[in-house]
Amino acid sequence: MEIAVDDLVQAFGDAPNTVLALDRVTHRFPAERVTCILGPSGCGKSTMIQIIGGIEPCTSGKVTIRDSGSSADRPLGSRSVMVWQNLNLFPWRSVVDNVAFGLEMHGMAREERQERARAMIASVGLRGFERHRPAQLSGGMRQRVALARALVMERPILLMDEPFAALDAQTKIVMQEELIRIYERSKKTILFVTHAIDEAILLGDEIVVMTARPGRIKDVIPVDLPRPRTQEMVNTPEFGRLYDRVLHLIREEVLSAMRQQEQAVN
Amino acid sequence: MQPAAARRSRPVALLQAALPYLVIAAVLLLWEVLVRLNGIQPIYLPAPSSILRYLVAMLLDGSLPYHLAITFVRIMAGFLVAAASGILVGVIMGMSRLAARIIDPWIGALYPLPKIALIPLLIIWLGTGESYKILISAVTAFFPVAISTFAAIRQVDPGLIKAAKDLGASRHQRQLKVVIPASLPGIFSGLHLGMGVTIIMVVAAEMIGGSSDSGMGYLLVHAGQVMETEKVFAALIALAVFGAVLTSVQKRLDRLVAPWADGQH
Repeated sequence: MEIAVDDLVQAFGDAPNTVLALDRVTHRFPAERVTCILGPSGCGKSTMIQIIGGIEPCTSGKVTIRDSGSSADRPLGSRSVMVWQNLNLFPWRSVVDNVAFGLEMHGMAREERQERARAMIASVGLRGFERHRPAQLSGGMRQRVALARALVMERPILLMDEPFAALDAQTKIVMQEELIRIYERSKKTILFVTHAIDEAILLGDEIVVMTARPGRIKDVIPVDLPRPRTQEMVNTPEFGRLYDRVLHLIREEVLSAMRQQEQAVN
Repeated sequence: MQPAAARRSRPVALLQAALPYLVIAAVLLLWEVLVRLNGIQPIYLPAPSSILRYLVAMLLDGSLPYHLAITFVRIMAGFLVAAASGILVGVIMGMSRLAARIIDPWIGALYPLPKIALIPLLIIWLGTGESYKILISAVTAFFPVAISTFAAIRQVDPGLIKAAKDLGASRHQRQLKVVIPASLPGIFSGLHLGMGVTIIMVVAAEMIGGSSDSGMGYLLVHAGQVMETEKVFAALIALAVFGAVLTSVQKRLDRLVAPWADGQH
């Protein structure tokens, strides 16, 4: 699924106090690739994928999703599904009922949805925890539940909003490997929002660097590291060169975002 | 973890667990001794031992269980009416902005009104029978239940609703499968407040209704009028224990219905 956004504008608040979150963003996100969206806090990167996911309406502009025809998914409902920064698991539901939530909403029979949810839970490595509630799990395990809840919908587009930002460094590495594995297996179109440069290079086929508010696309950097990706690539000279290039781009924007915040405080 | 620390702290922990009971026992003992040494008349302050004698006698002759049971039935009736209507109104307000705007001024005006002030009016309308006692307690308990329910629904994490929408939940499904379960802990804390005021208002109504001849409120007033202070104390103790039992049963029910919310209220 190729995702085309054209002249996307998102403005919050009423005139004259409007805040421009996204300013005429135009980009083609390639089908069955991982695109990482990198930018300083408040640059509108989360807003952008929420608009693409149909969760938020935009002020103006257009999102077009084109079927590339090669996907084996049988999507339930819309074509994309979101993995949220704060997970948004339902605390009153067990792991299996969280994962089966979307299937339940589409009227799937209890037996079938439980079976599919259990299979997905096993494939993210949580077999045996089906009856636990989210509060009884560690951060990394909760992250897996959120991932399973999205994947079970078999939608071709996976939208991820800084999903690993709250994890500790080791768990983060494990979850990145999990995502690489999922990508290699399913070849979904993945849009991955992050503020970690190394994560963007490790996971992405291309990196969209955004400016400080109002969010525009500053540059698009292709990542030519071979697939499947591994954590060891972090130490290669290619990775280092990419890191320096992205860092240089992003530093200006982070400084500019900090100036904006200082002005807002004063 | 550390066996040495565990061995040292075990008697300390035991003492800490027993301390509240030891303090109660000490206060009762002091009370008994002071009353006996100073020869205080039982009409002013009876000794704990004679209160206990009365308590046992009232239990055995069936008067205490009888009045307690009647009060219990009235509390349950008032509480159920308040819980059902309060949750219904709170849910309607939480789900519809228009309903909230229409109902809000009524709650704003009626909630601060001391409900005891309605007793004369309700007696004129309903007499001093059962409907008056149930209505006054239900009206009082309605407000905390409705207000807590409304607040709980309003405070549901919008992220959960967005996530449900993304997973394909319709508006109706979002309300039924997300908003209602997410607001259960808040609704429960409203029910706790409601139970507290129901107990107060039923006993107060039993005390005030002149023709009332049953219930703990009646028992208290009647014993007070004939200066049977031991009976007054025995009734107070029974009421205190009864209230504590009701509250703890309610907490247990909460945990049964919404185990994930443990410790949230």
